[in-house]
Amino acid sequence: MNNQLQSIVLDWIPNQSKVVDFGCGDGTLLKILAEKKSAIGYGVEIDGEKINACITNGVSVIQQDIDAGIQNYKDMGFDVAIMASSIQCLRRPKNAMKNILKVANECVITLPNFGNWELRLGLLKGKMPSSAQLPAKWYETKNLHLCTIADFEDLCAEESFNIKKKVYLNSRGSSSWLANTFPNLFAAEAVYLIG
Amino acid sequence: MKIVSEKISFKDSLALQSGDVLSGFELMTETYGELNSDKTNAVLVCHAFSGNHHAAGIKDGEKKPGWWDEIIGDGKTIDTKKFFVVSLNNLGGCHGSSGPTSVAVHSGQPYGASFPEVSVRDWVETQKLLADHFGIDCWEMVAGGSLGGMQALQWAVSYPSRIKKAAIIAASSKISTQNIALNEVAREIIKKDESFHNGDYLAKGESPKKGLKAARMLGHITYLSESNMSKRFGRKLQDPENKMDADVNYEVENYLQYKGEQFAKTFDANSYILMTKAMDSFDPAKGFDNDLVACLQNAQAKLLIASFDSDWLFPKEYGLDIQMSAIKAGINSTYIELEGDYGHDSFLFHSDRYSAALKNFLNSNE
Repeated sequence: MNNQLQSIVLDWIPNQSKVVDFGCGDGTLLKILAEKKSAIGYGVEIDGEKINACITNGVSVIQQDIDAGIQNYKDMGFDVAIMASSIQCLRRPKNAMKNILKVANECVITLPNFGNWELRLGLLKGKMPSSAQLPAKWYETKNLHLCTIADFEDLCAEESFNIKKKVYLNSRGSSSWLANTFPNLFAAEAVYLIG
Repeated sequence: MKIVSEKISFKDSLALQSGDVLSGFELMTETYGELNSDKTNAVLVCHAFSGNHHAAGIKDGEKKPGWWDEIIGDGKTIDTKKFFVVSLNNLGGCHGSSGPTSVAVHSGQPYGASFPEVSVRDWVETQKLLADHFGIDCWEMVAGGSLGGMQALQWAVSYPSRIKKAAIIAASSKISTQNIALNEVAREIIKKDESFHNGDYLAKGESPKKGLKAARMLGHITYLSESNMSKRFGRKLQDPENKMDADVNYEVENYLQYKGEQFAKTFDANSYILMTKAMDSFDPAKGFDNDLVACLQNAQAKLLIASFDSDWLFPKEYGLDIQMSAIKAGINSTYIELEGDYGHDSFLFHSDRYSAALKNFLNSNE
């Protein structure tokens, strides 16, 4: 997660929140949230090496498949649920969205924008495109359900997921005029606060 | 690795959870490595049901190392170059600590069946007195597998400020109905041995070795996984020249016969019953209206809960159950699932992910 993204998430999450981070990776975000926001954080992760990195980082982590596990976190008293660059990796993202909104009052979702012009250009050349946000080759990617910003916001509208805040970031990870004016074409990543 | 074996006497009387009082007791201990000058590098390891104080290293005249030798030692997962590791035989055991084989002061006879019932909570009380004895204010970690993991959990509940980390491995916050049932079969087998004499066999100069052996054979099966047994023994026939018993056909039979017999030579039947009873009754949430969340709320230690895929005695759901309660309580807690080839016994052996997780946990700082 880049610095800009991190500072947005830090900004949105109130002090002393109880936070669950689905797909927490090595636990960096939770560690920063604990240090800067006195958050009580838990990560959910399936990858053994990342879990060990969390343990080294002193971050509480649960080894679990997010696809199977989100509903287990209902009634745990979470203020915020985070799903950073993970929603597109899930088998049933729509269901996951519904479940995650039952876990916490608010959730932070970040996703790579497949509508970004660089990716469109790549596809125009007849190859599966890659970018800093989507570096993996088609045969190695964990992404099952890539979408554009327009697609995701359509889903939110259809399902009445209330987008409270959103930030669009360009491929350098900053919030630019271009990315904010024509997000579906110029944003590389979108960050949402939904609740 | 510096190893010190020491029997430590505690003169003050000890009030047990059962209401009984011991007018003093002894604990057989073994320590590995050296306590630093601040006394901040101490790790307590708690043994499982049939374990003892000898957790690491090889003693003179013995072939087999201590029960957690793959984990504890110089440069190992619990590195004795860095940590001072304390191990003990639990109260009620039969390897040097006060227990059913000890001589009661009031009668001059072995306690036998009259040794009071002890609980996991009682063990933690005695271990706290042991910490005081060494001048250890706070354990860097309390760790154990199976019944040992239950002690680590109880530590976090009983003495929140005296433990920084608890490694609860292949354990649960209370054992399953099936576990109690298996324990009862084992107890029944022991009690029905004609040498048992209602537990007073020592006074008669006897020992219910047959019952103890059979009980252990049953228990041993539950510590292994089906796939591990298949892989190890398959349906191989036992070498006819080398049979424990004329009726033995398969290798697995001979193996269980041998393991059972070895165990019966070194273990005491009353201790067996006492230890299984302590396991059955363990339920720290009981004092909190059966609410494990409330029970964990005051814990300050970080928890590491580890379960093994092949463990059917303490299935991983039990570990996850503690984890979910810990999350609800808002305490620092991590849950991992490990592959483990050996069923419930997997906790005893080194494997890469297991050791890395335990080591990273022990060495992590906030």
